[in-house]
Amino acid sequence: MQKNLNIYRLRYMLILIHFLIVLIFSPLLLGIIGKTKAFFAGRWGAPLLQPYYDIFKLFSKGNVYSVTTTWIFQAAPLLSFVCILVSCLVLPFGGIHAPCFFWGDVLLFAGLYTLARFVMVIAALDTGSSFEGMGAAREATFSCLAECCLFLNFIVLALLSKKLILSQMVGGDLSVSWWTDGPALILVGGSYFMVLLTENARIPVDDPQTHLELTMIHEARVLDHSGWDFAFILYGSAIKLFVLGGLLVDVLLPLDHQPVLIQMGEFFVGMVILAMGIGCVESSMARLRLNRIPQLLTGSFILALVGFLVVLIRGV
Amino acid sequence: MIWLDMCLIAIVFMGVIVLGNNRLRTTIQLFAAQSFLLCLVPIMILPGFHAGILALETFVLKVVLMPLVFFWAIRHVSIRREGQPLISYGHTLLLGGVLIAGSFLISARLDLPVKISSNLLVPCAFSVIMIGFLLLVTRFKAITQIIGYLVMENGIFLFALLLLEKTPLLVEMGILLDIFVGVLIMGVIVNQINQEFGSASTVNLVNLKE
Repeated sequence: MQKNLNIYRLRYMLILIHFLIVLIFSPLLLGIIGKTKAFFAGRWGAPLLQPYYDIFKLFSKGNVYSVTTTWIFQAAPLLSFVCILVSCLVLPFGGIHAPCFFWGDVLLFAGLYTLARFVMVIAALDTGSSFEGMGAAREATFSCLAECCLFLNFIVLALLSKKLILSQMVGGDLSVSWWTDGPALILVGGSYFMVLLTENARIPVDDPQTHLELTMIHEARVLDHSGWDFAFILYGSAIKLFVLGGLLVDVLLPLDHQPVLIQMGEFFVGMVILAMGIGCVESSMARLRLNRIPQLLTGSFILALVGFLVVLIRGV
Repeated sequence: MIWLDMCLIAIVFMGVIVLGNNRLRTTIQLFAAQSFLLCLVPIMILPGFHAGILALETFVLKVVLMPLVFFWAIRHVSIRREGQPLISYGHTLLLGGVLIAGSFLISARLDLPVKISSNLLVPCAFSVIMIGFLLLVTRFKAITQIIGYLVMENGIFLFALLLLEKTPLLVEMGILLDIFVGVLIMGVIVNQINQEFGSASTVNLVNLKE
């Protein structure tokens, strides 16, 4: 009885550690991206901790609600924040194992993001503004396309590892098979990177900086939120970048059979490199025209498709 | 082995980017990059004198000379972009995906008499041939069509690498020289089309002269 209790306690500790890592480190990624972009532009840029200040500032403000909105509008930011936060539980961060796992938790992982997006979309529609409606429509369209690619990537990973548990699909055996399945992994990595950029509204798809009506996707959706709600949205998007990026780092970095500390170090170095990579992409590319974004995602889909075929040809 | 596979995948990938691209300069650069990867393949399959010479001449002709001819041609007729293709870029990409899948499926059923160094070689060769074919069919600008033809030729080159040991060097040199002369002639033809019609589009060539 006592032993069981201890196991439960350990479990809760693990969950707590996972939440803490995500909550503490996720805004830092945004800071690194900002610094990288500033470096490319030849500026000094905002401090590395600026996203923390922003979020803190927003949390110390009050909310303003339009009279046309209902409880959906007020509940959505918190709901989507919680969805995104919970999704990190099925993903290992380097040496830190995922505290929750079960057969098929990949679907939960994707489903939580879809749920978060769904509540945000209906909140945007709830305002009754045609502008936010447009943002919501675009968001739904592109994420629908991105989801196809995401699932094809998961299929390839599942075929490689013969598991349907996310934490075992990305870590463990996969890094050992890097030398035999390298091409498929590279293809999945490339394809997933495009999905990552789409999901997180980074530059070739959507410009997080711009507030120009015609080009906005994610920003248009959250225009009416303020104060706490907006802080939840900002924090949520930072966590989303951290978790989805963490998945990419887990897939690409061989992390097996090493002390936990080295694995952790490797993971965090990988995350920093990823953030810098996103910064480089943002500095060196222009935002794509809206009608060319599906083309980018088609490219991502084809990458994943070729990866799938390569795995099939090697023999499952 | 793993590097060979990576190289083959990268070659197919370059082809896919060409399919979704409408800037002629980038297309030519991508073709050059693809050819560069292509000239690494024989060295990886069978390191030696024969493969070295083959790689060298591929490099000189396809990575240096042919892109130079293309750059000269697009400067001369001053076009920078492919206009509206027959099928839109997104659909071309999708079709490319279908063709790649098809070529993987077909080559899984092929029974080849020679020993294959990598089981990705044949599917990738087929895919590149199909991508080149698709470019050739869907684009209107003469230059893109030539590049489509050359991408297709890259695929055939990959396929011919199956017989790397058995083909005499002279034959391969002859083939590459033929292609180069062909490209030169096509460059001149693009120029002529441009002079005659004021654009390098092959749409103008469907009518008979009265």
